[in-house]
Amino acid sequence: MTLSTMLVQLSTGMVKSMGIFFWTLVLSLPLGLFVSFGRMSKNPAIKNIVKIYISVMRGTPLMLQLMIVYYSPFLLFGMNIKSFRFPAIIIGFTINYAAYFAEIFRSGIEAMPVGQYEAAKLLGYSKSQTFVKIILPQVIKHILPSVTNEVITLVKDTSLAFSLAYMEMFTIAKQIVAKQSTFTPFIVAAVFYYVFNFVVAAVMEHLEKKMSYYR
Amino acid sequence: MKILEMNHIRKSFGDLEVIKDISLSVSEGEILSIIGPSGSGKSTILRCATMLETINGGEIIYMGDKAAYTAENGSVVYAKGEKARKINSNFGLVFQNFNLFPHYSVMKNITDAPLHVQKRDKAEVNSQARELLKKMGLLDKADYYPCQLSGGQQQRVSIARALCMNPRILFFDEPTSALDPELTLEILKVIRDLAREHMTMVIVTHEMNFAKEVSNRIIFMEKGVIVEETTPDKMFSSDNERTREFLGKYHDLG
Amino acid sequence: MKKYAALLAAVCLALSVSACGSSSSSTSGSASGSAAGSASASGSEASSSAASSSEGTAERTTFTVGFDAEYPPYGYMDDNGDYTGFDLELAQAVCDMEGWELVKTPVNWDSKDMELSSGSIDCIWNGFTMNGREDQYTFSMPYVDNSQVMVVADNAGIDTLADLADKTVGVQAASAALTLLQDDGEEGQKALADTFAALQEFPDYNSAFVELQAGSIDAVAMDIGVANYQLKTRGEGFKIIEEPLNTEQYAIGFKKGNTELCDIVNKDLKELTDNGTVAQLAEKYEISDLVCLKAE
Repeated sequence: MTLSTMLVQLSTGMVKSMGIFFWTLVLSLPLGLFVSFGRMSKNPAIKNIVKIYISVMRGTPLMLQLMIVYYSPFLLFGMNIKSFRFPAIIIGFTINYAAYFAEIFRSGIEAMPVGQYEAAKLLGYSKSQTFVKIILPQVIKHILPSVTNEVITLVKDTSLAFSLAYMEMFTIAKQIVAKQSTFTPFIVAAVFYYVFNFVVAAVMEHLEKKMSYYR
Repeated sequence: MKILEMNHIRKSFGDLEVIKDISLSVSEGEILSIIGPSGSGKSTILRCATMLETINGGEIIYMGDKAAYTAENGSVVYAKGEKARKINSNFGLVFQNFNLFPHYSVMKNITDAPLHVQKRDKAEVNSQARELLKKMGLLDKADYYPCQLSGGQQQRVSIARALCMNPRILFFDEPTSALDPELTLEILKVIRDLAREHMTMVIVTHEMNFAKEVSNRIIFMEKGVIVEETTPDKMFSSDNERTREFLGKYHDLG
Repeated sequence: MKKYAALLAAVCLALSVSACGSSSSSTSGSASGSAAGSASASGSEASSSAASSSEGTAERTTFTVGFDAEYPPYGYMDDNGDYTGFDLELAQAVCDMEGWELVKTPVNWDSKDMELSSGSIDCIWNGFTMNGREDQYTFSMPYVDNSQVMVVADNAGIDTLADLADKTVGVQAASAALTLLQDDGEEGQKALADTFAALQEFPDYNSAFVELQAGSIDAVAMDIGVANYQLKTRGEGFKIIEEPLNTEQYAIGFKKGNTELCDIVNKDLKELTDNGTVAQLAEKYEISDLVCLKAE
């Protein structure tokens, strides 16, 4: 296999990896926020259910979660899962990352001084206005470094989709390695992941800078 | 006309009763100072008046509308919805530590609530905000962020923010205690100016001389009760033993 | 900020479309193709099985083969990035006869049973050892005579299975070789495995070979076909211990009880054997001495 063919193959895998990355991010960040509300709920039932959810998601390997998500519709309900592979991967990644993001959101929201809520209340802001206009923007700035950490981890975690034989970059690299009996595809894949993460880190740094106009 | 009436207010934190059956009222144009040692409940009564704390008994009336009252079964009922919003628009509060919104510019801190809560005309709000900033001597800081301002400047912005809502009564919760003496003077000057315009104000403060100078009436609180309530002159020549003792300490310090 | 949001949305959309496009293969196979396939079937046996087939196979337009894309020469990614191999080409030949569209679905070998029983794939066709697994699958006729062998470094002084005592031996996880080495039955080699210092499982052969090369393991157990292929591509330095661990056979594994699909494939294999296609493919992949389907 020529290097250019290898690059083309790995690039198609890279696009798949990026697909997992973007969908997971776009879905898990809002879900994480929602989950963090449940985690901070005054209703003990909701709070405890969410706590268990977060505990399981963080306490078990993502690879196993992916397999459970993918196979359980069949195992539990005998459903045909032929076209469920990609949705299962996105669902698995999303519910896992939402748990981490929920805890990050919670730490950010709980770190907000109570005075911000009081000032907003005195000025007549509704609860949702207070959260969206006053609290959330500050929380986002506050948690951005932790989110960056998770996002960078997510780039690398996309390779776990190999466990469901999804043709992302790592799966393809493994297949080329098997046939070509060389480690080159792994090195190329490592460079691809690094470049991807370099871009991600640059974007996050740019965001941090944009929000550094206040303390 | 009475702007605020608080009758038989009780407030406990757990087993600790911090407000014990306090009644007070504020008339239009009046300036009331509340003084007293730390833990006397003077900040708490302000927080009760501004609905930041819920009372355990008594009633709060703004402009004749009941914001809270004790029902026959003993529980306290608060006004809700539109009525609560109307009542809450009567008052503003200046916090001890400003509580400006750090991600908003000075201008946006002042104009955002009038625009998006009161839904007032943009041009009108902007011109009022600029007017207020001019009065506070901060017109050149309109586009600054709070972190770029001194404590005294931040507190002036927070006063402007409260005033831009056009409240009938403005509460000050120890507005100078987070500031050094020089910056304190800035704030006291602003409050003095407001007094000259007959702004109705309730000021919780440790600045005894200032309270004496600016107030129409002073309340001395201790351990959750009103010890004495009178004019500044009478307060500072009081023959109440506790009042004299308290004011004496300040006198010694001064 | 809006600009960024729009860009992000656009990227996501593009990615999702590409992802969906590739994961769900088209089912453009037509009924006429299927009819042509059964018309070409000959022999009384074949026609009776076709007649008894349920509507499930009558409507079949695709044939989804699950395979391990890391298993040359039977199934792998070729130099052009396409999936090929002896097994996949044979599957293609069956599909051509039946008018099915071949869907090549790489699977994670550890999860092959789940993929099969859940219906994600129609069969496991990838150097799949039938011996010892007869109870779990419906197998086609065997098509390759395989044996499990040990690959060692040729300068290690290991010439017989007995020399492996106190050595560390590598094996692919979930492989037939592993099953064999853990089997304490009459046909099993657990007694031999018990003489090893350790039996180490690897996710793929490449890792095992690198460790063999590095000297951290002393031998790797694997199928003879894979061993031949690996020795050919890796060049000098390795050899196969002549004494095999066992002899066994490859067959196509269908979901237990799916005899109707199995029958169709068996019939086609027979025909492909008789018309020389099998021999031709065996030669192409240099496994002629292993393929056991011989024209009569």
